[in-house]
Amino acid sequence: MSNIDFIGRSRTWLFISIGVFLVAFSALAFKGLNFGIEFTGGNLLTAKTNKPVETSEARSALRPLKLSDSIIQPVGKDSVMIRYGGQKDLDFKDKVVKALSSKYKVVDVQFEQVGPGWGSQITQAALWALAFSMLALLLYISFRFEFKMAVTAIVALIHDMAFTLGVYSLVGRQVTPATIAALLTILGYSLYDTIVVFHKVGENTTKIGKESYGSMVNRSLNQVLVRSLNTSITSILPVVAILVFGGETLKDFAFALAVGMVSGAYSSLIVASPLLVFWKEFEPHYRNLKRKYA
Amino acid sequence: MNQKQKYILSLAIILILAGLSIFGLFSRGLGLGLDLKGGLNIVLTAKDGPKTPVNQKTMDQALFIMRNRIDKLGVSEPSIEQHGKRNIILQLPGIRDANKAIKIIGQTALLEFKIVEAKYNSKDTFQMNQALAKKEKVLGPTLMTGEGLSSASAGYDTENPAATSYVVKLDFTSDGADKFADVTSKNINKRLAVVLDGQVMTAPTIKSAITDGSGVIEGISTLEEAKKVALVLQTGQLPFKLGISQQQEVGPTLGKDSLNAAFIAGLVGFALVALFMLAFYRVFGLITWISLAIFTSLLLGSMVLLDYFLQSVGAAGISLSLPSIAGIILMIGVAADSSIIVFERIKEEVREGKGFRSSLDVGFTHGFKTFLDADLVTFITATVLFWLGIGPVRGFALTLMLGIFVDLTVSLLFTRSILKLIAANNWIKNPSLIGLKLKEDAEVV
Repeated sequence: MSNIDFIGRSRTWLFISIGVFLVAFSALAFKGLNFGIEFTGGNLLTAKTNKPVETSEARSALRPLKLSDSIIQPVGKDSVMIRYGGQKDLDFKDKVVKALSSKYKVVDVQFEQVGPGWGSQITQAALWALAFSMLALLLYISFRFEFKMAVTAIVALIHDMAFTLGVYSLVGRQVTPATIAALLTILGYSLYDTIVVFHKVGENTTKIGKESYGSMVNRSLNQVLVRSLNTSITSILPVVAILVFGGETLKDFAFALAVGMVSGAYSSLIVASPLLVFWKEFEPHYRNLKRKYA
Repeated sequence: MNQKQKYILSLAIILILAGLSIFGLFSRGLGLGLDLKGGLNIVLTAKDGPKTPVNQKTMDQALFIMRNRIDKLGVSEPSIEQHGKRNIILQLPGIRDANKAIKIIGQTALLEFKIVEAKYNSKDTFQMNQALAKKEKVLGPTLMTGEGLSSASAGYDTENPAATSYVVKLDFTSDGADKFADVTSKNINKRLAVVLDGQVMTAPTIKSAITDGSGVIEGISTLEEAKKVALVLQTGQLPFKLGISQQQEVGPTLGKDSLNAAFIAGLVGFALVALFMLAFYRVFGLITWISLAIFTSLLLGSMVLLDYFLQSVGAAGISLSLPSIAGIILMIGVAADSSIIVFERIKEEVREGKGFRSSLDVGFTHGFKTFLDADLVTFITATVLFWLGIGPVRGFALTLMLGIFVDLTVSLLFTRSILKLIAANNWIKNPSLIGLKLKEDAEVV
């Protein structure tokens, strides 16, 4: 079994985490997120062509225009719908048609403004769902383990989501519905990981001997470390595979997952547990243990 | 039956289930979502109502109501967006039964309560609708609309057990109940017509004032129809009428290139994980391979089964889209983790010097408790997301909920049985076979 001092250096970790969190937070506050066309609405260009359009072919034809946020969808036998962000000027549509003409003969063009497919009401519903699920988790973990664990698990969760969104903001990647799916996946991983750690802590708490709460938690962390690392490795390997081989549209999804998983592995060991120790050692019993054995 | 036979039986059960899942998957298949396969593109155009002009506010309202109906129909994740000032683009994945779905999603669902004019009192609802079509004055003014409704549900006609028809039960809000009591008390012995989108659904005679805030639409011939009526009433009335102005097939937004790339990435990812598990856990790694294969086929199989069930009751069923694939990836990770938790626990017990057989026992029991907790927490999150989420979020949540059931099933029926069965063999007692280092040999009793 490894013997790494996670808790002893918790102040260092805490400073790093707070620093990272602040960077992520200010990126979100000042730079904001680059929302995709599904959220903002934009332009819809329907082009009638001389032959059936294949999504990947059209995408490569449009590549020189750097329309990273476009949604390309073949329609019927001889048309294609291209949706792209609203910030472009009207002349831009001629460029799109010209780029498309390199692969297809464009017979007819229709151009319109479209509203967001993922409107504010859906975002609102999703946020409510998120808030309620956190409340439900708080109740369940408090009931099954204890209140302090519930709070720290949720702090770790928020840490991971904020970190991922912060990275998104910093690198200026587009937020698409796929990003939301990735964020939800991260939520799942982060919680799962934290609960496994707390399960061990809970088990060891019942047989705490001549040691402080902090060193007991540290032992628990070392006991689950191999599992934690191996799980993270087995989860990240497929994501790396998607990142390398997954093609243009899946890369965004894989990128969000990769960032969130690294953050999740880190936070269950280094955010949730030290925070729990810090809080628990205010309790008289554990304060005494700490004075005695630390 | 002795223990050994019991374990062999559960292995047989899980293998048969996995086989059935693979069979179901290949014979029936799962529909692919809009992003992966495309579907039907319908342009609906809003027409100004008498009181509600088409503007951004009513369009937003209409989009929200239609979203809700889509979600109540199932989890096949259609897309819906505003297009210009008064058009709505609805895209439905798969074109099986698309017309039925359009009817439900686009139905105005204007519910009105009116008094039947005295000279039509002897007519039945079919005759009333015929007379209405001829623009005869069958009904009085609208006394109340569906706005006072709090819920609507389909059910059997319990008042009249001999009847073979179905009913929709209506519950009013307290305001609605007051209004309904007022309307019914003033019109005793007259017939009250319940009119949905201009069609008289039912027209019972008011025998006494109804003050308990409930009503009923009777005489619906099929349960499916009753459910449809309940669904559109529950989600509320669209502010205006919608007409279909265009309908065409559309291709996928992610395209074949993405799907092929995802397939290659999936294979490479699986191979990497398999190699890692084999290197780290040896025999246990091999067990993980098999359990993951069983897990994946059972998860997909249960999705096929649920899809079949949903479609048979008239809902829209399930289709695989990027969010649900994300859910599958997450659950495969979780399933691998369940194995890792158990194996790490077993190694821990062996290191502490316990015998092999008891280590396997304790390892599974304790490991199971740990991931049961972690699974339950994930399940709670998924349930809330499914309950409150909209559109793609629900597909994701559903995959998670199914995945957790399958994970627990595979752990109990497969992992436990195979561990118990190999525990009886002597060859497994060589620690290097499960990835324990040789220097720890001495600790093994």
